[in-house]
Amino acid sequence: MAIITISRGSYSKGKEVAEKVAARLGYACISREVLLDAGDRFDIPEVRLIRAIHDAPSILDRFSHGKQAFMAYIRYALARRAQKDNLVYHGLAGHLLLKGIPHILKVRIIANLEDRIKSEMSREKISEEEARSLILRDDQERRKWTRSLYGLDPWDSALYDLVLHIHKLTVDDAVTFICEAARLKQFEPTPETRRKMDDLVTACEVKALLANEYVDVSVACEFGNVLIYAQSGERLQHKLQERARKMVREIKGVHHVEVHSGVPAPAQAV
Amino acid sequence: MSIIIISSDSYEKGEEIAHKTALAMDYTCLGRELLAVVEAQCRIPRDKLEWALKASPSSWGRSVGLQDRCLASIQSMTLGELLKDNRVCHGLAAHLYVVGISHALRVRILADPAELARELSGQGDISSERALRLIDRQRKSRQQWSLTHYQLDETDPSQYDLVISLSQIHTDEAVKIIAQTAGYRRFAPMTYSLRCIKDAEQASRVRTGLLEAYPKVKVRAEGGTVIVETKGSRRNRLKKAAAIKEKVQNMEGVDYAEVHVKNGLFKRAP
Repeated sequence: MAIITISRGSYSKGKEVAEKVAARLGYACISREVLLDAGDRFDIPEVRLIRAIHDAPSILDRFSHGKQAFMAYIRYALARRAQKDNLVYHGLAGHLLLKGIPHILKVRIIANLEDRIKSEMSREKISEEEARSLILRDDQERRKWTRSLYGLDPWDSALYDLVLHIHKLTVDDAVTFICEAARLKQFEPTPETRRKMDDLVTACEVKALLANEYVDVSVACEFGNVLIYAQSGERLQHKLQERARKMVREIKGVHHVEVHSGVPAPAQAV
Repeated sequence: MSIIIISSDSYEKGEEIAHKTALAMDYTCLGRELLAVVEAQCRIPRDKLEWALKASPSSWGRSVGLQDRCLASIQSMTLGELLKDNRVCHGLAAHLYVVGISHALRVRILADPAELARELSGQGDISSERALRLIDRQRKSRQQWSLTHYQLDETDPSQYDLVISLSQIHTDEAVKIIAQTAGYRRFAPMTYSLRCIKDAEQASRVRTGLLEAYPKVKVRAEGGTVIVETKGSRRNRLKKAAAIKEKVQNMEGVDYAEVHVKNGLFKRAP
């Protein structure tokens, strides 16, 4: 009854681990599906969402904030899926997008660079040098992406509950550990953690609806009461308050919406 | 029938898990008690040995020689103990020198950040920002320490087979995971892995014997053959090589000694 996020580098066998864990536990296994959900809900082509979640923001992106809006859509789609429980997500940044939910088991799968290079060489039929350069570039892009959007390093073990190194440990060992950990009491949802998950979904939905029009907006939700933290000036704040009032009717489960300006957003805000 | 090496960002947590794992597996736990043996055999005061395991290298390079000698003595004695097998080792930096030994399971334990901050500050309640600053400072200091003395980053998860965070996973569950992993056949000692650890122990013992007189010495061992590398002026090269060779050949277990003295960059004879 848990939610498992599996973070992985390319060719680290993370996908294989995720699929086997899902099969053994009878859970749904998703990755790209989240992008399809987000694309359908907000009418965005999948390729643009893939670019948003894969490439680090460029200097122009930092001014246009387009990537932040796409990330808000993806986060909402993932939170909606996670709300239903029994899920293994092996797409990008699951542990960051679903932060603050206690019953999520966060796993990172790593593998030796040389093993990854061999896998890429045999799959893509390319030279060792090309494979090395591709993998290193991909790793660097991941690091840059996480640092620029969340100020964190995906290589930092403290972000995960378990980091499993596929070398001496096999894929099947990793699957066993993850399945056993997922059955631990602390990863079972409780009414309290379910409520937190519902609040996260609401906050993500509000953020996704605002993301296109308002930049630098953070949203928190507690017991259905939504708090919007804005950096905008007085004129925009007035507009935002109007928009927020409409949201109470638009979004199911929202009891009340408040807009705060010039106040730092709490850590759990999305 | 294996060796378990435990590294942790919290000495207390590492010690607790090591003791519990040793108890669960009926292994011997090897911790800082070994420093008393090092003190007696190498005539280095225990407080200096403890200082060497903690102190960041000084920017002026002072005391580096003493720190190197302390760490080499600890390494040599620890490897000697690990030859006996069925050991759980913690608090002796073994994760940085027991490298490439297939029957050694290397585990990193990450304490709960709130608990770690309390431990580091020595206080009851501290603000979360101060706690994060303290943890970050400690992590950077350990990173620098491990890179300076062993050219390895101890915070890098790829150095370990398994990283377990105690934020959500409890101590007893972590012990169960470690014991289960150590029981796998691939962590059983093989002829080759036993030879590797024997060679590492011999190289370390020889280096410890030479360090006081030759501080820049590097030593490798291969089945009784010891290869020593050091730097020296062109004028004294032969004399130095002969002196080292004589000293090494009289050491226990050495069948043949090979000494290479390279030209020191700033010590070239006119």
